[in-house]
Amino acid sequence: MALVEIRDIFKSYWLHGKRIDVLSGVSLDIERGELVSLVGASGTGKSTFLHVLGTLDAPVAGTLRFDGRSIFDLADADVARFRNTSIGFVFQSHFLLPEFTALENVAMPALVQRVDRTLALSQARTLLERVGLGARLEHRPGELSGGEAQRVALARALVLRPALLLADEPTGNLDPATGEGIHQLLREVNRDLGITMVVVTHNEALARSMPRRLRLQAEKVLPA
Amino acid sequence: MSSRPLPVPATLLLEEVARPRWLLRAAGVLLAASGLILFLLAVQRTGATESLLSALALLAAGWGSLAQGAFALATAVRPAPPLVLAIPWRWLLAGAACWAAGWVLLAASVQGAKANDEAPSAAAKAPLYPPLAAWRDFSLGTFAAYAAAILGSEVVLVLLQTWLASGTRGLGVAPPSAFVLSLLAAALFAFTAGALGASRARRLAAPEATIAVLYLGTPLPLLLTVLPAFPGLSLWVGYRLREVTYLAELIGRPEFAYWLTFTLLVLALALGILSGFVAGGSGTLDLRAGFELFVSTRHVQVFRPRLLFGALLVLLLGIVPPLLILAVLRAADAAVERTRIRALGMRDPMLAAAAQRAYVEKAQSATAMMTALSVGGVGVGVMALVIVLSVMSGFEADLQQKILGTNAHVVVLKYSDNGAMPEYADVVKKVEGIRGVVGVTPFIFGQVMIASEGNVDGTIIKGIDPATVGQVTDLPRNVLPGGSIDWLDTPEKIPARRPLHADSSDDDVVHRKGSGEEAVLPGILLGRELAASLRVLTGDRVTAISPLGGGMGPTGPIPRSRAFRVAGIFYTGMYEYDSKFAYIGLRDASSFLDVKGATGVEMKVADVDDARRIAGTVLQALDGYPYRTKDWGEMNRNLFSALRLEKLVMGIILTIIVIVAAGLIVATVTMLVLEKRKEISVLKALGVPDSGILKIFLSEGLQIGVAGGLLGLLSGLTWCLFIEKVGLRLDAQVYYIHNLPVKVEPLQTALTVVIAVLVSYLASIFPALRASRVEPVEGLKAE
Repeated sequence: MALVEIRDIFKSYWLHGKRIDVLSGVSLDIERGELVSLVGASGTGKSTFLHVLGTLDAPVAGTLRFDGRSIFDLADADVARFRNTSIGFVFQSHFLLPEFTALENVAMPALVQRVDRTLALSQARTLLERVGLGARLEHRPGELSGGEAQRVALARALVLRPALLLADEPTGNLDPATGEGIHQLLREVNRDLGITMVVVTHNEALARSMPRRLRLQAEKVLPA
Repeated sequence: MSSRPLPVPATLLLEEVARPRWLLRAAGVLLAASGLILFLLAVQRTGATESLLSALALLAAGWGSLAQGAFALATAVRPAPPLVLAIPWRWLLAGAACWAAGWVLLAASVQGAKANDEAPSAAAKAPLYPPLAAWRDFSLGTFAAYAAAILGSEVVLVLLQTWLASGTRGLGVAPPSAFVLSLLAAALFAFTAGALGASRARRLAAPEATIAVLYLGTPLPLLLTVLPAFPGLSLWVGYRLREVTYLAELIGRPEFAYWLTFTLLVLALALGILSGFVAGGSGTLDLRAGFELFVSTRHVQVFRPRLLFGALLVLLLGIVPPLLILAVLRAADAAVERTRIRALGMRDPMLAAAAQRAYVEKAQSATAMMTALSVGGVGVGVMALVIVLSVMSGFEADLQQKILGTNAHVVVLKYSDNGAMPEYADVVKKVEGIRGVVGVTPFIFGQVMIASEGNVDGTIIKGIDPATVGQVTDLPRNVLPGGSIDWLDTPEKIPARRPLHADSSDDDVVHRKGSGEEAVLPGILLGRELAASLRVLTGDRVTAISPLGGGMGPTGPIPRSRAFRVAGIFYTGMYEYDSKFAYIGLRDASSFLDVKGATGVEMKVADVDDARRIAGTVLQALDGYPYRTKDWGEMNRNLFSALRLEKLVMGIILTIIVIVAAGLIVATVTMLVLEKRKEISVLKALGVPDSGILKIFLSEGLQIGVAGGLLGLLSGLTWCLFIEKVGLRLDAQVYYIHNLPVKVEPLQTALTVVIAVLVSYLASIFPALRASRVEPVEGLKAE
């Protein structure tokens, strides 16, 4: 059984009463441990697809099965719990919480789950050391460089070992060299931790390096 | 376009009338209104306007049909004479027709959603996203829970209070304590039932709550309010609600008390509903808030020493002095810092730039300012409440002490024998044994005129037993030095101030010790103001004239006069008593006022708040009639009612300050929500449920409330201490009291803080709900 089964996803926006279709009947399977890239022109709805996949946005119709479980049928609070435990997000901006240190930011998903504070912080420390930020634990997001912040965000997405990591142009705001470091990290995470990954990117080189490549075109997701 | 199949005709019809919809609506309203007017005219013609209006008033509370049903049943059982009414059928029919036509037009004007003019989309066959179709119906179970909460809490309050306070069939707890206990129990009941209902529905269920409160909550306070207006009704249920109405009447405006209590219960219900929603919103009861507190404390940062200290300074000293201090500190700080930056710049410009940056970044954000302002606002409200209520309590305690120092707590009187009680010694014996009674003394009460050589004044004269009066009142302690209460028994010891020749022609009590010596006159104690107006001192002679004491003569009642010697002057601190009271010995009073034995027996009880119950026990011990008892609250009801009402109104007015501060909290938390939209989205992406977001922002408001409440408490108590120790002098000529009295009542003060915190909590509900409804994708758009 595939880890993620997407069937007949429809998503539209209404702008001044006019309908704009973004996804029309997207169906897709993602196997456990896969590393998937998703490319497409700007504004085709790659982020929207990722958001629907991560239960952050509501589609018009369709089903999403995760591990055989129909996610859209769950109650709000259960969807939140699912998002907390099973999905990690990395966005184009790091979206770290400005009032908290790097360490606390990474520990946040565990704290949401009410893991004991010291345990959560020690897990976060291990992970931050692994992404090479052992010296920046007590820094606030404002005191970190773009690449460092993005690595903290990646560590935050991984702290609970989610089954699926969704990355939305994770290197879009970074220079090529720093971006390459993040790409390397993503591949390592997929290889070492076996975490399934969907990476939305404009970076053709990165997309080509992934085992499975998808393209969002004409409101459909097709193999690239 | 023309090939596309037409939608359902009805929809088409609605589409066609879409343009003149407002016209239709206006016409419908007009018609319905004219129908109503026709109805009213018809009613006017029957002359039954009044009874119809009262029925309508019943309808307003939603109990009209039920009440009318009961009324119909009652009339069926005992048929009333048929009421002949000339019903104006034509008017009624015209009215009904207008009314119905108006509603038909209104219904026609309601436009459905615009019919879809597009071809079926590609999604037509795909499964609908379930939350899109989630229809949240009216939940009968939740409605039942809310109804039980409000009605049940009212019933709990009434029954528990009656049971606790009733001396005969209950525990006989003092009425105020009984009320407080019952109110707590009832509020707890409302809270729990509300929480259960909300956690069951997994939403706030406002329609259910509104209907429950309106339809099931209001009838009881409504009944209590209208009770005095309907003699039949009060005969029927009045005595069952005796304990409830007694307490409410203590503050003078009973209906005020009923509705205030009702509001409190509704508040408890609302809090319960909210708590149930927050705790059980996820389907399982989740009371843990460690994470939410962790986040919210970082957001508001209320408990910073600088903020707390600054706010406390403002509360204690006013706004201007701390601002001056702040300005001076800022100036010094800036001077030092700029010198340092300049020195750094001499070595390395980069260091100076970094220091400059750090210095600028220290400036506070607008939200931090708002937070400080809200903390200060709540603090000001709580401080004002604490100080004003303490001063009012001080006045009340002062008054109570003076009144109770002069008057007994409970008085036993008699209906028969012209109010005289010859057997008072037996009564004293019977009463002495009752638990809670600590002192008993007989007394005689009368009104006389007192004349000195200089002046005349009307007074209340009281015959007392000097040996035992000290057990009941403070009189022996109030006698000023130079006089003594014991001299009432031993008048020969009173030092005469001026050689006077007693006129003994009609006086058999005056004993001459021998010619040339002073006549021994019976002693009298006068109040300080009375003595001043009579211009007499201890040892002076005064004459008391009892207008009715001499029996009947041919021309009517003959006054009786008798000479007394001032045995002492007393000072109670209460102008009314000091200017109107005089005391003489019991035996002198008995013969002078022609009262056999005593007028009654007065006693002191251990707990003044328990006086009412003990009065009941005393009456039972005396087998009731012809005896009757009065407690001090009853004897001074007007005064204390006025005081309590004043305090309540003052409390409510000052609570408005807290509510204004709550407005600040609403603004602050709303600003926080707007500022943190992105963070809310991120937290949701990390898996925080809606109820978690709600908890975060609720606790932010709560933190502001707690900080403000504690600061207000601290500054209020400091001010009270200042007033008590240093004292604010009052003009004794005006107030008959030297210093502003202060009495900090712990319960009342704690209640003030609790109310402030509750109001802050309530104030943050709305912005917190808005925060919980932020769509996650909203804040996650790439910058």
